[in-house]
Amino acid sequence: MADEKAGAILAALGGAGNVVEVEGCITRLRTEVRDPALVDEAALKRSSHGVLMAGTVVQVVVGPEADMIADDIADLL
Amino acid sequence: MTVQVAAPLAGRAVPLADVPDAVFAEQMLGSGVAIEPAAGSVTAVAPVAGNLAKVHPHAYVVIEPSGAGVLVHLGIDTVGLGDAAFTVHVSEGDDVAAGAPVVTMDVDAVRARGLSAICPVVLMESGPDGTRDHASGDVRPGDPLFSWEA
Repeated sequence: MADEKAGAILAALGGAGNVVEVEGCITRLRTEVRDPALVDEAALKRSSHGVLMAGTVVQVVVGPEADMIADDIADLL
Repeated sequence: MTVQVAAPLAGRAVPLADVPDAVFAEQMLGSGVAIEPAAGSVTAVAPVAGNLAKVHPHAYVVIEPSGAGVLVHLGIDTVGLGDAAFTVHVSEGDDVAAGAPVVTMDVDAVRARGLSAICPVVLMESGPDGTRDHASGDVRPGDPLFSWEA
């Protein structure tokens, strides 16, 4: 299940080419993207509890499975 | 059945809306109450009996017998501090009694870095305003903090 979610989140972040860094903490994924315009915020919101965007830093609120999803996304990069 | 969550640490109970992080203030992960600790250091305990599904230096989740998870988050943006501010007393996967010590936080070390030491306590997946009987003002560990209908 986390695999599927990781794929959906990565696609909404603009794909592997747009992601500079992904870090999981207990509540959220903290990601840095190259081009924020490529981020599909509506799609991210469908895969999460919420999204916070500030410049190139995108936080995706996924809850305690954040670590697992971050690892899965790292595998896809 | 009403499930009671106890305060995991001493401090001043305040609404989640006062937490300087939108994830908690807007109840994206769920409803609950935050506790602002006094100066010095503070030991955070299990707010309910259950299994420690997640243990990080700066946060932990206890799954209580009904299957609900209670998240205790120690300070805001503290994920990078690790050993500099936190001492973990348990292991992920442990079963704990309510009141069992989990993590000690050096409150002064957190604040010295310009970070907030406020500790949101959240019932995961409860939705906005999904908990009730919210405490306010000074609380001691074990005092009632909030409850919900399981």
